[in-house]
Amino acid sequence: MEDGNFLTDDFLRQLIDVGEADILVGLPTHNNAESIGPIVRTIRDGILRSFPRERAVIINADGGSRDGTRELITGLSISDMHPSSSVHALRTLHAISTKYANTPQSGIALRTILAAADLLRAKACIVISPESGNISPDWISSLIRPIYFEGFDLVSPTYRRHKFDGLLATNLLYPMVRALYGARIREAYMSEFGFSGRLGSQFLGQNQWNDGSVENGTELRMTLAAVTGKYRICQTFLGNKDPVERRAANLVPALRQSVGVLFSALETDYDKWSTISGSADVPTNGNAPDLLLDPLRVNRKRLREMFVSGVSQLESVFQAILSPSTLAELKGIASLGEERFRYPAELWVRTVYEFAAAYRKSVINRDHIIQALAPLFRGRVYTFIVENRSGSANDIANNIEGLCLEFERLKPYLVEMWKSKE
Amino acid sequence: MNSNQDALWYKDAIIYQVHVRTFHDSNGDGIGDFPGLEQKLDYLQELGVSAIWLMPFFPSPLRDDGYDISDYDTVHPSYGTLEDFRKVLDSAHQRGIRVIIEMVLNHTSDQHLWFQESRSSQSNPRRDWYVWSDTDIRYKDARIIFIDTETSNWAWDPTSKSFYWHRFFSHQPDLNYDNPAVREHMWDVMRFWLEMGVDGFRLDAIPYLVEREATNCENLPETHIIIKDLRRRLDQHFPGRMLLAEANQWPADLRPYFGDADEFHMAFHFPLMPRMFMGLKLEDRKPITEILQQTPEIPPSCQWSLFLRNHDELTLEMVTDMERDYMYDMYAQNKTMRLNLGIRRRLAPLLNNDRRRIELMNAMLMSLPGTPIIYYGDEIGMGDNISLGDRNGVRTPMQWTGGWNAGFSTAEPERLYAPIIHDPVYGYPAVNVVSQRESEHSLFHWMRRLIAVRKSSAVFGRGSMEFLYPANHRILAYLRRLGSETILIVNNLSSAAQAVELDLERYKGNVLIEMFGNNLFPRVRDLPYLLTLGPYQAYWFRLRRV
Repeated sequence: MEDGNFLTDDFLRQLIDVGEADILVGLPTHNNAESIGPIVRTIRDGILRSFPRERAVIINADGGSRDGTRELITGLSISDMHPSSSVHALRTLHAISTKYANTPQSGIALRTILAAADLLRAKACIVISPESGNISPDWISSLIRPIYFEGFDLVSPTYRRHKFDGLLATNLLYPMVRALYGARIREAYMSEFGFSGRLGSQFLGQNQWNDGSVENGTELRMTLAAVTGKYRICQTFLGNKDPVERRAANLVPALRQSVGVLFSALETDYDKWSTISGSADVPTNGNAPDLLLDPLRVNRKRLREMFVSGVSQLESVFQAILSPSTLAELKGIASLGEERFRYPAELWVRTVYEFAAAYRKSVINRDHIIQALAPLFRGRVYTFIVENRSGSANDIANNIEGLCLEFERLKPYLVEMWKSKE
Repeated sequence: MNSNQDALWYKDAIIYQVHVRTFHDSNGDGIGDFPGLEQKLDYLQELGVSAIWLMPFFPSPLRDDGYDISDYDTVHPSYGTLEDFRKVLDSAHQRGIRVIIEMVLNHTSDQHLWFQESRSSQSNPRRDWYVWSDTDIRYKDARIIFIDTETSNWAWDPTSKSFYWHRFFSHQPDLNYDNPAVREHMWDVMRFWLEMGVDGFRLDAIPYLVEREATNCENLPETHIIIKDLRRRLDQHFPGRMLLAEANQWPADLRPYFGDADEFHMAFHFPLMPRMFMGLKLEDRKPITEILQQTPEIPPSCQWSLFLRNHDELTLEMVTDMERDYMYDMYAQNKTMRLNLGIRRRLAPLLNNDRRRIELMNAMLMSLPGTPIIYYGDEIGMGDNISLGDRNGVRTPMQWTGGWNAGFSTAEPERLYAPIIHDPVYGYPAVNVVSQRESEHSLFHWMRRLIAVRKSSAVFGRGSMEFLYPANHRILAYLRRLGSETILIVNNLSSAAQAVELDLERYKGNVLIEMFGNNLFPRVRDLPYLLTLGPYQAYWFRLRRV
């Protein structure tokens, strides 16, 4: 068991009051007062509807909210201290909260939730994003049931997304995780997910929480830990996913938390991923992942401009990262006009793999490597949007599948680069 | 017994519920009787009970275990004579034990002479003593209580070619309380027994006395008028005697049965009982505290009557559908254990014969506000026999010894009114009074001690109650207070050890004295009072400023 000393005395006291739990719902927050009330009520409804007899607890790990988020959550406990005529529950449902830091860090939030789950010996745990505006009570059942009743250890979500939402997942994370780790997990970097107590405890114990990586991408690490640990994994369809408004400036942090974590994991997991060929579906509950096709205005011109200027300005960096042929091809497409500009799948995969190998070799500062990927990713996004602008859902799915197969086909190229260091 | 000694005796009482038939057979006919009961009064005195409640012992065809009375003015010949009953009454009183008897006012047996006359012709003078109708569509809003056996509250009488009203079995026609002669005669019945010296009545099926169209025929104002009249007569002619209501209703509907202290002295708190079992299984005090939060205040002279088990099924009428499903799944997975809307099992089997849980439930029974009732045999952990029909599985012979017929009777076993429990766990060789008397740590001796401690303070019967709400929901804690005396009760509903912090700031400076061992616990100081409790442990502390 991981040492739980980082938990505060006050939080430990709350955990003592909760006692052993069957179901734990983790809720990381930071200044979410405007939206958190309905989310917690929905979680509560989901528990009361689907698991009225189980010992459940909602655990809020807060990153220093100053807007009353924590009080809103704890006020939604169901207990005899706050009797409500509108809520009919068999048993007490604690909603407790702890402030783990003064600034939000998703890794520490998840670590706090994992430690609580471990101490409470929770059988099934889920984490819900405070931005889950579309959450419905069914989510609770969909995420917990496979663990609680069917013996799965990790439940990864799938959604109905807009075709141009989640492009980092569709163009990099999903195909690369699939190709390297052999498991077709759509949302390896999960914002809502479920995990078993045993996976949680094992992950809590094995993860290097003090190496600084705790700040980033722990959710993705957990997915990879489940795959490499041969835990039983399934996906569950949660319905529509609201697109989250993100500014261009947010891309680099997103890349750090996802691609950076993935590249880092490749080092420790080499023995496991290097021997895998091909990929396999994971069991999926509910509908298959789906796409919304309604038109969306995207500033494609800006995307291409950022790619072109990136290739130009970062050429010296790319020389350290990429092979001469790949860099030459990138420069070639950067010189193409808007109509002819395309960043083909094969070149994109080769680019990503060369970045991964460069990351491993630390040819330059690793964070600079991740930052350097940003303009190239924008070029790939431009191409994806153009190629799928008028495509049907099936067409787009086929295109994504084609990209995945390309990642799988070129995997030996990555292995070769990895070995060359050795 | 001098009923004027203390008119509120029922508030301090420990009541023991027993059926004469089940307790002890003195003449070897296989059926318990009054002389047999008299022989066992020393046992009840040793246990510490201060009142016995006798289930119906009147002449009856016994199609509903005596709740189908065919003559109110004597005793069933199987149980002895009226003189035998008088002896029991006198002997009990000599031991300081009061006697409460059952009185079924709502209905009679269809074998009762009154009904025989009533059905004989439409012009019979007793025709109007029962509720007759040409159709079976009147009072259609009244629910059917025995849903497993009855399909209507009306039954066709081929003799008088009309329908008669019955809220329970069809062989139990309801008396017509709109008829003044019925009301007068039923008071005469009660007076007969009061004059003999009984200390109180448990009035059966009281919400159903009167029927009115477009109502559910329960708890009607006219019913309360009848009860007030009975109470007025009782207080006038027999002060100090007690009326106990059997009304399986929600607390808010029960409250009117206390009136302004001018109806019942006591009423069963039916909704609390299943919630105690629920709280124990959930390891959560919420069901218990919630129902008691919903329980209205009652007049100071009135009292709730609390019980864990009785002669009926563990009724689940006063719970929600979700709660009922839970109770069935937790306590009666075998469907033969279910009857009507309830579970026909005894205390020990319900609790898997777990001594710690049995003790905890009894500790709560004895410390929550109200007068506790112990069902015969539960003080030694008797089992049940679900292969017997109806509720007979919890009405088997008392297990006195490990010998012939468990010491209940000298009759041949096949002549016993019901088979004795003989399974390996609860059978009479393993569970009986004699062996438990000899074992210092038996449940019997533990119950004796519990009762003695309860009787050591009037707080339990008469004091107020205030819940503490520690954040640990597995802990049910409350303060009982009367005058300057304060007792703290802490119950751990969990199967695991628990830590709890109690807010006792008001009692800063007090020491806690654990009432079973009279040991001192640390003084209450500024910080919340930290206690640790073992699985299913209960503490009773007297608070004392030193």
